[in-house]
Amino acid sequence: MTTSAPSSPGTRVPVPHRAPSTLLGLLLPVVLTALGSAAALSWRSDLPDPVAIHFGPDGPDGFGSLGSNVLINAVMGLVLAVGGWALAFFAGRAALVRRLGVGFGVGITAFLQTLQLSILAVQRGLVDAADTPDAAWTPLLGVAVGLVVGFAVALLVPGDAPAPTNEPVPADAPRVPLADSQRATWVRHVRSRAILVVAAVTLLVLAVLSLVLRSPTVVLPAAVVLTLVVASTASFTVTVDERGIAARSGLGWPRIVVPLNEVQRASAVRVSPWKEFGGWGYRVGRDGRVGIVLRTGDGIEVRRTGGRVVVVTVDDAATGAALLNTLASRRRKR
Amino acid sequence: MLFRIDPTAPEPLFAQLAGQVRQALARGELTVGSRLPTARDLAMSLDINVHTVLRAYQDLRDEGLVELRRGRGAVVARSGLDDSALHEAVAEVVRVARRLGVTPETTVALLRDAHRTATPGEDPS
Repeated sequence: MTTSAPSSPGTRVPVPHRAPSTLLGLLLPVVLTALGSAAALSWRSDLPDPVAIHFGPDGPDGFGSLGSNVLINAVMGLVLAVGGWALAFFAGRAALVRRLGVGFGVGITAFLQTLQLSILAVQRGLVDAADTPDAAWTPLLGVAVGLVVGFAVALLVPGDAPAPTNEPVPADAPRVPLADSQRATWVRHVRSRAILVVAAVTLLVLAVLSLVLRSPTVVLPAAVVLTLVVASTASFTVTVDERGIAARSGLGWPRIVVPLNEVQRASAVRVSPWKEFGGWGYRVGRDGRVGIVLRTGDGIEVRRTGGRVVVVTVDDAATGAALLNTLASRRRKR
Repeated sequence: MLFRIDPTAPEPLFAQLAGQVRQALARGELTVGSRLPTARDLAMSLDINVHTVLRAYQDLRDEGLVELRRGRGAVVARSGLDDSALHEAVAEVVRVARRLGVTPETTVALLRDAHRTATPGEDPS
């Protein structure tokens, strides 16, 4: 056999696309930070000293020197960006992991630099930073720029090339009885109560916040984003058939699809979303596993070519995993 | 739930599908409110005609087992009856048939025959 199947997938398969991940996830944040910091420092003669760096409901309430502030901002952004790049570089076997790492790193530096530059821009020409006009819009601008830049760069990250395999499915992987003349499919719906609860609590906090701050401008976009996230990740349909395994959100996106010819082995596992994935939803977990994890309990774990691992929490995972093994193995015999 | 069909079997595909749903209901795998896949999705998964699935779903609806929702597939309307007594009786039939060396085919034929001749609503107990 020309291709070697590692005994423990996920450890020895090299991470692909490391050069683009480094270019976009490391070099780009450094450039953004350098440009932003240089622009901020070039305004020094126009700016009050100290500058306002924090704002409360009654105007500026935190002040500091321009230089230390630019430095702190730059270091904070770069530390986070290095974290995102490391995820893509060391664990980015699946496209989602690379996109998340790179997009997060670039997005967070874009957010921090935009926030800093907009806060400083409103202070140009002032003598005393205490006279800084209302700057409630600056975090919104920062978040908007960060999201747009982060998502745009994530789209530039190369995706996964098709990686079909002809390796037989291991004999000890579970199977279901299926005659050669039979066709089979397995379908389950899964819903997340945790996501709905978290969303309800967050909406409540946002509502209280908008009353306290008397500024619905900050809260409204957050509520819209939250509603979209919940609507898209609170319910999934999991299907196993001759095409492979697919987990699709009720809205159609997000979805995970593993074609049958990329399935190495499926098994039923117990999933702890909080411990293994840091939360619920469409997530990247430890060791670069990608998961649609909506609740604690039964899940299908699919070992996929390229050292990738996909996890979907769903009831009766044993049947789904066994059918996936059965169909994959039958296809390869032919 | 798991759907298994056999295009080479004499039983029509829609009947095979409906039968599997009935079995899943009887075994308690499907309960009231459970969603079946949309006819389009199920037809694609099994590589069969969508009208075959619709025919199966319509039969199940006519029996009052599911409700059909436009574009959303079928939702279980009535749970499997409390069928533990039936399961016990079936197990007993299988036991006796084995003891007497009666083949499964003959046993099923006997059951079908008994089912046909029994007066509806008759309760022997």
